[in-house]
Amino acid sequence: MRSAAWRISLWATLAFACGTMLVFIFLHRFVAQDIQRRSDAWLSGEVEVLGDVAERTPKDALYGRVVGEVAELAGKEVPNRLPSDSNSDDSVFFLQTASDGSLKLWVGAGNGVANLNAIQATTILPDRPIDLHVTGFSVPFRVASLRVGDGTSIYLGLSERDELRVLRNLSLRFTFLWFLLVLLGFAIVFFTTRRMLSHVREITEAASGIGHSDLSTRVPTTPRNDEVGNLARTLNRMLDRIENSMHQLHTITDSLAHDLRSPLTAIRGKLEMSLSAAQIEQGEPIVSAIEELDRLTEFLNQSLDVAEAKADALRLTRTVIDMDELLSVMIDLYEPSMSERGLQIKLRSSGPLRVDADASLIHRMIVNLFDNELKHLPAACTVTVLLKEEGEAASLVLEDDGPGFAPEVSPHLFERRVKGTQSNGHGLGLAFVDAVVRAHGGTVKACNREGGGARIAVMLPLAADGPASHAD
Amino acid sequence: MHYYPFMRLLLVEDELDIQSFLRCSLEEAGYQVEAAADGKTAERLAVEGTYDILIVDLGLPDLDGITLILRLRKIGVKAPVLILSARRSVDDRVRGLEQGGDDYLTKPFALAELLARLRNLLKRNGPPGNEATRLRVLDLELDLLRREATRSGQILQLTPQEFVLLEYLCRNAGRVVTRSMILDQVWGMRIQPDTNVVDVHIYRLRGKVDGNGQQPLIRTLRGVGYVLKDR
Repeated sequence: MRSAAWRISLWATLAFACGTMLVFIFLHRFVAQDIQRRSDAWLSGEVEVLGDVAERTPKDALYGRVVGEVAELAGKEVPNRLPSDSNSDDSVFFLQTASDGSLKLWVGAGNGVANLNAIQATTILPDRPIDLHVTGFSVPFRVASLRVGDGTSIYLGLSERDELRVLRNLSLRFTFLWFLLVLLGFAIVFFTTRRMLSHVREITEAASGIGHSDLSTRVPTTPRNDEVGNLARTLNRMLDRIENSMHQLHTITDSLAHDLRSPLTAIRGKLEMSLSAAQIEQGEPIVSAIEELDRLTEFLNQSLDVAEAKADALRLTRTVIDMDELLSVMIDLYEPSMSERGLQIKLRSSGPLRVDADASLIHRMIVNLFDNELKHLPAACTVTVLLKEEGEAASLVLEDDGPGFAPEVSPHLFERRVKGTQSNGHGLGLAFVDAVVRAHGGTVKACNREGGGARIAVMLPLAADGPASHAD
Repeated sequence: MHYYPFMRLLLVEDELDIQSFLRCSLEEAGYQVEAAADGKTAERLAVEGTYDILIVDLGLPDLDGITLILRLRKIGVKAPVLILSARRSVDDRVRGLEQGGDDYLTKPFALAELLARLRNLLKRNGPPGNEATRLRVLDLELDLLRREATRSGQILQLTPQEFVLLEYLCRNAGRVVTRSMILDQVWGMRIQPDTNVVDVHIYRLRGKVDGNGQQPLIRTLRGVGYVLKDR
């Protein structure tokens, strides 16, 4: 969730930054062009005035002085003027060349030779100011020229230093503003997205808490009519339907169980009563009828459980169970039967391991696993029960060195009614194991071992407080 | 032979088939049985008479069994209740009652188990007898403190599990115990194995207890369970 908020904000901010950057670049260019246009206009105007002055001033000894003064005065009215670093004013120069191209008059910093060389290296059309790079100056001059009637040319140069400084200031401010805007944009997008996604996260958390056992809770809804609100309401409607179907399923299985168990109870009771009244020889069919009834009852229980589990609707009454202790008791219970049939059973456990599970279902699951071994293994085999902690789960592995699963049943071991050719069971055993494990959020795998024999691995999630060894 | 003669019992069961055979076998076991087929009748009977113990089926036509029990408790009926349930899962409220001193049994059940649970409930709610440290059945003797069993003075080499099993049989000497009762009481599990695991335990125990050509004490009643003979 967090990363989604980050991703969205980053992309949005990137797009926003690019957009504002484009706007600023455009603005910057516009301002730069405007400044240039203004200084060009000024230059053209001034150079015309100076040309006028140069033309009208009598060509006497004072000519240089008069034109120089006018040029100097013009230099004081430079647009965009900023205080200069040095005392000498080098932002403007005025240059007049004689008709042979030699320097006639110079007003400005230095002697003007470099400027003259630069001017001579290019051609400057009248009324078309150009940029002129002069050796010895870091910033170019904008130079306008005019050919005066007497064959001389006058050049008025304006350093672009001030203009560049203005533009640099502008772009500095723009950058700062841009940075602030982008930061603000990111913050706004991030916090809105996160707020939005936090609703989604609340819904997810609530939805993940709604499991097999608890279908009655609902995800939090907001009164707003936006997408997230709709999502929550849709989820809740879906949960209503699921709860309803679950309820229906439970009603059906419960009433089926009830309707079958009541007559079974009556039949069993009557059989028992007639058994106590019967002679020993007559008792035999009654006895086997009672045993069949008991088997039928267990079959009924298990198939209803499997049916419910297939629909993820098995109801669990959870308690904390120590698997290690449970397995030792179970092995204690099964060991005599196993050795009676020439089988060995061993427990290899890494110590107490607690799972939060339905005790009755887990008991019956282990009974199914052990019954399975007992019924299918030939004599002189060994069953090894391995229990250990594996990540967040208790791993229970049953290994034997018998013939293993027949290849034709192997892919369908956990399906109902699938049983080996020699099996006399209902074919529910492993389907029930699978059902119970899945209802507890675990996994079960069965395969044949490499060296021969079968291997069934059950993983059950550990209780929240971890292995028992960590507790007192 | 019966431990608690003339115990008054109220049987609340709507299935008349079940009601009739339960009444028969309970009367045979020495209980004085009143039966009701619905919650209302049961409530009336419980108010009118006093009962030592109640058997209540959860699925009554007019009233939920638990509601009936809670109502009876409210009007001052203190007798323990054995709940019969044909439901699949054991309700949390049933567990609550179980902790409150009542017991439950799922249908179908063995009569022997029903009788045993009734006896247990009565014993739990009766005056506390001083807990014996020795059990004696004929020439079989169990020292519960030293976890030692002797038959005719001969020490029997029993595993701890076998001792617990024998102790359970002795405590119920003369009465039938079923396989599921043994699994519940000795191993603490309400399970129904598809194999003869309990039989093998009994077989082994019998080999040790009745081994030396003595009079066999542990009898198998096929289809029902086992009895430790007390005479």
